[in-house]
Amino acid sequence: MHITWLKLQNFRNHTEREVEWAPHLNVVTGPNGAGKTNLIDAIHYLCMSRSFVANSDRYVVHEDQSFFILKGLFHGSIRSEFEVTCSYSKGEGKKVFVNDSPLERLSDLIGRVPVVVLCPEDRKLTSEGPSERRSFIDAFISQINPPYLQDLIDYRKVRRQRNNLLQEFQYDRSTKEAYLEPWDQQLVDAGARIVAKRNQVIKQFQEYLHQQYDMITGLKHRTFLEYQTFCEPSSDPETIRDRYWDKLEEYREKELEREVTIVGPHRDEIVFYLDDKELRRYGSQGQHRLFALALKLAQLFYFTDELDDLPIFLLDDVFGDLDPHKIEVLLNALIDHAGQIFVTSANPIPFEEYVNFDGEKNRRWQIEEGVLERRD
Amino acid sequence: MQVTSEILERAIEQLTKLPGTGRKSAQRIAMHLLKQSDDYVFKLAQALIDLKESVDHCSICHNISDQNPCSICSSVKRHTGIICVVEDPKDVYTIEKTGEFNGRYHVLGGTISPLDNIGPDDIRIKELMDRVHDEEEEVNEIILALNPDSEGEATSYYINKLLKHHEIDVTRIAYGIPMGTELEYIDEATLSRAFSSRNSF
Repeated sequence: MHITWLKLQNFRNHTEREVEWAPHLNVVTGPNGAGKTNLIDAIHYLCMSRSFVANSDRYVVHEDQSFFILKGLFHGSIRSEFEVTCSYSKGEGKKVFVNDSPLERLSDLIGRVPVVVLCPEDRKLTSEGPSERRSFIDAFISQINPPYLQDLIDYRKVRRQRNNLLQEFQYDRSTKEAYLEPWDQQLVDAGARIVAKRNQVIKQFQEYLHQQYDMITGLKHRTFLEYQTFCEPSSDPETIRDRYWDKLEEYREKELEREVTIVGPHRDEIVFYLDDKELRRYGSQGQHRLFALALKLAQLFYFTDELDDLPIFLLDDVFGDLDPHKIEVLLNALIDHAGQIFVTSANPIPFEEYVNFDGEKNRRWQIEEGVLERRD
Repeated sequence: MQVTSEILERAIEQLTKLPGTGRKSAQRIAMHLLKQSDDYVFKLAQALIDLKESVDHCSICHNISDQNPCSICSSVKRHTGIICVVEDPKDVYTIEKTGEFNGRYHVLGGTISPLDNIGPDDIRIKELMDRVHDEEEEVNEIILALNPDSEGEATSYYINKLLKHHEIDVTRIAYGIPMGTELEYIDEATLSRAFSSRNSF
């Protein structure tokens, strides 16, 4: 899958811009704050209906404006050509259109154009709390398995309803338990499918991660992802269902007392290990960075194997702090990847030795003081 | 802003409260009504008054009706043993249009939703159970036709549980693919549901 044309209106510092992208490698260089990241964030919006940088759509609108519009033309193997539009305004919120027909739910967009992002924020993945890793695995699986995303949405809603019921004070104990049952049922249904899917994907992903870490570092460190959930993990939803019911029973008293849902995948954790040592605790700065890099490259190759269409790969400002050898390894990996790639960098990257910027397959841009110029 | 007609302003304010009507539309409707003949506007007003004063609820199925019991519940041509449970009156209209169902209805008037403070006692589940226990109705099948969202599901689960120890078949309408659409255009959630509830050919 690749994007051939992108149009931005009032998107961050781009008031009005159109870009025609090359099918393979696209490199955008320019000083900090020129708007490089925003260009590829716009592509991310059209794939995932949200930013990979900002937490809220409000911050993405150009300062003096009340709306933004993004349009992109995509080419893929299943649907040969389609246009995605994403608009946001302060009054009406966010809307997504595919070939001008509105999508009922934003979540329907996800998975149409698979995307993998490598960016400086990745350090949160290895160093911060479990919610970072849950959102990584959720965005990961949602793109290859849309029913998983539906389960996540259902699960979150059911959990909110259930928490509300747990906080209700007007019912006596037995009434409350009777009223909880229909919600327990749905919590377990959706929750068990989520756990089983996470377990299955993480299991298959191990080998990919191991390979990429090896390739980047050249060191024979053993990477390992440990999936921790409320019970012994399994890839079979039925097995998880049984264990979920048992656990729910076990925690019944505690949940009623604390008035909140305790048992479920919303508290899952994925622990990263390097040679049997927990990365978050014992890893060096460098190991953190390389682990995150390996995770994203592994995601790229996993998607490539799993999906009919090649994912789009966005690399935001990641070449700056790698040593020359690692840059070379990464560049070679990119060139081998047949899909479309976007690279931003403040400094020119030594691509010339590896890539021919012919303007057909590969293109280069320089952005400075609001002007985007092709340099090939 | 200076208001030249307090009466007009009041009408606009009332109209703004209608679903899907903003201030602009309310203004347009009010101005439109002002231009119409007296006869038309009085008829409209009378219709609204009648709507509130004369429309009744069927005491059996709780659907909106001019007579009690409603024409469906009092019809001798309808099966008495089958009850189709729906969320609100507009669902009855929708199902009636299909001509597929020949039993009677039960309108719950909502679905269970703790977030909106709606519990099982706030909708007509007790009334449904009364009908099940009523020997004259001879209920032998309950069809659950609630929306496939989590609130509809929770309500279905709850009712199913209550009916467990009765000699009654509890069924639910199938999840599936809308007629006249192509598979390609169906969202994956619907399609995967349709797969898991497929039936033999």
